[in-house]
Amino acid sequence: MILKIENGTFAYKKGSPLFSDVNFELNSGDIISILGPNGAGKTTMLRAIMGILPWSSGRSLLDNEDIKDLSPAKMWSKVSYVPQSHGIAGSYTILDSVLFGMTPKIGVFSSPGKEDIEHAESILDRLHLTKLSNRKCNELSGGELQMTLIARAMASDPGIIILDEPESNLDFKNQIIVLDTLTQLSAEGVGVLFNTHYPDHALRRSGKALLLDHGKVRFGATKEIITEENLADAFGVKAIIGRIETDSNQIDNVIPVSLLPNKSDTLEKEQPEDTETDTLASISIICSEFEESGKINTILHEYPDILFGRMGMPHRKRNVYLINVNLDGPKRRIEELSHRLSLLPSVSVKVTYVKEEEHL
Amino acid sequence: MNKKRSALWKTSYILALIALPVILLLICLCIGRYFVSVPEVLECIAARFSDTDGINKMAYITVWNVRLPRLLLAFLVGAALSCAGLIFQSLFQNPLATPDTLGVAGGASFGAVLSILLGFTAIILQLVSFAFGCIAVSLTMLAARGKTRNMSTIVLSGIMMGSLFSALVSLVKFAADSEQQLPSITYWLMGSLQSATYKSIVIGMIPILISIVILFLLRWRLNLLLLSEEEAVSSGSNIRILRLAAILCATAATASSISMCGQVGWVGLIVPHMCRMALGNDHRYLLPASISLGGSFMIVVDTLARSMSASEIPISILTAIIGAPFFLFLMRKKGGWSL
Repeated sequence: MILKIENGTFAYKKGSPLFSDVNFELNSGDIISILGPNGAGKTTMLRAIMGILPWSSGRSLLDNEDIKDLSPAKMWSKVSYVPQSHGIAGSYTILDSVLFGMTPKIGVFSSPGKEDIEHAESILDRLHLTKLSNRKCNELSGGELQMTLIARAMASDPGIIILDEPESNLDFKNQIIVLDTLTQLSAEGVGVLFNTHYPDHALRRSGKALLLDHGKVRFGATKEIITEENLADAFGVKAIIGRIETDSNQIDNVIPVSLLPNKSDTLEKEQPEDTETDTLASISIICSEFEESGKINTILHEYPDILFGRMGMPHRKRNVYLINVNLDGPKRRIEELSHRLSLLPSVSVKVTYVKEEEHL
Repeated sequence: MNKKRSALWKTSYILALIALPVILLLICLCIGRYFVSVPEVLECIAARFSDTDGINKMAYITVWNVRLPRLLLAFLVGAALSCAGLIFQSLFQNPLATPDTLGVAGGASFGAVLSILLGFTAIILQLVSFAFGCIAVSLTMLAARGKTRNMSTIVLSGIMMGSLFSALVSLVKFAADSEQQLPSITYWLMGSLQSATYKSIVIGMIPILISIVILFLLRWRLNLLLLSEEEAVSSGSNIRILRLAAILCATAATASSISMCGQVGWVGLIVPHMCRMALGNDHRYLLPASISLGGSFMIVVDTLARSMSASEIPISILTAIIGAPFFLFLMRKKGGWSL
């Protein structure tokens, strides 16, 4: 399923556009994050994308059909929306709430039947919520509530799920639970689009990112959008993007350091790293789910021009797959490749670059 | 709570709700100035379908021509008003909403009062009153249209329309002849089921039954009314049409009740809340419960109204006197519940 935004421009009546010329495509299995300062219009953008608010110009296409022309039942059985959680009104049980998500599939004059309830229960089971199914929504913790909302969104088996700040107001653990769920959904082929306040989460979870900044829209591979320069520009904050190495992965993280005195003074252009010069690198990959290795191959096949050596070896005893690839190309593309690989669940990725002195 | 046990509990609850009005109806058929025993009541009912020979004529007439139409009307009105109150509370997500939030009662009363002033017959009065109830709500919906349309503007327009029509009612009272018309207007406004005849019930029953059947079929979907705007839209059901259908049904049921027996306050507020306290907010259970409990409540209240003193007590007085303390008792005992 493909959600495509073409030249989306949105303005409230009589106002100048909040943002214009939004163009991007969300494919099955993609995760795209939307970032931007408070008030930049992230939620508005989601609403416009889904047709809850009308685009001033431009359009949203779902599998090449304008969303405006789809019946609500058809549209919302393919796309699910998880609004920012304010709690669910009325003291319904978790199971009842999940059944609400199946409304497009239930006849106007009927109530959910046995099959519908079983389907809802299977979704709860998938998200490990079964033991909560008879609790009331107003008795849940923030994390449980967010997971319930996601379960409700999943109930209609959508191809695309759109979430508004799903991990805001949650503690560490629940943030990971929610974000892992998104990763899992994308691995199952669902397209995920979410708003977030955390550049870290965008870097760790999404292949592509959209940065919204007072009408300016930047879209591209997450690594190229979430840069110190762009963050300074959009948020007026000096931030450092560092890399932390764990036993299994290299993790990018963003540390906000200080406010920039004046937003227009963007970071003094430090001599930008010349990302276009070719360099040598080797990426080692360990894939702990044998089946996932296919996805790795698909991604590697997109980089034939920089890939010059490759060794793959299954280790059947432990059911893992070890891959080593050698690359020669622009650093930008190598970073992009390693980032995309690192988004796959159950994959460990590390990049080693050749020493500067020996630069070819 | 154990899941199976809770399901069993809910099923037996619903069964009890079906039995309750039937039993009350049987008992209340006995009560009155002329006492008829339960076996006699059953005999009279059976006699209707076989032959009336050898039956107590007096009891037969009392049961069939006096009490039964009146009790049926009481059940219908109670069920209709409770349903409408339930729907409006959910629709506006406001525990204070009542069947006449949108100005139905004001409009219907004006229609009825005007008919009394012009000396129309009972049946015409009923039709005019129903029509004016619907007109009032249409005006409310028209007034609430426009840029800033949301549920609050609808409620506010309803309250405005209600006061407009009650001013018109006062105007009619002012113009009425104080010897005959004014007392009958005042009496009508306080509500009475005295005028119940099978003919008027059949006319008034049609909109009520249609509305209740539609709402009953929509019962699961009505839960969507309590979701936030965004959630409701993204559920993929056409929430506007659902709201409109709910408003139309609740209005038709209320207008028809008021046109038959005047303003009966309180039922539409108290009964839905009692059901919410017991059952939560799931309309699958709430709606049948409101129908049954509302009907039963009115059967009891009307029986008291006609048998407590020599002259009949206006029904609105009793609904409040019985309903309010009972409601407060339940509320304090049960504690908080949320809409």
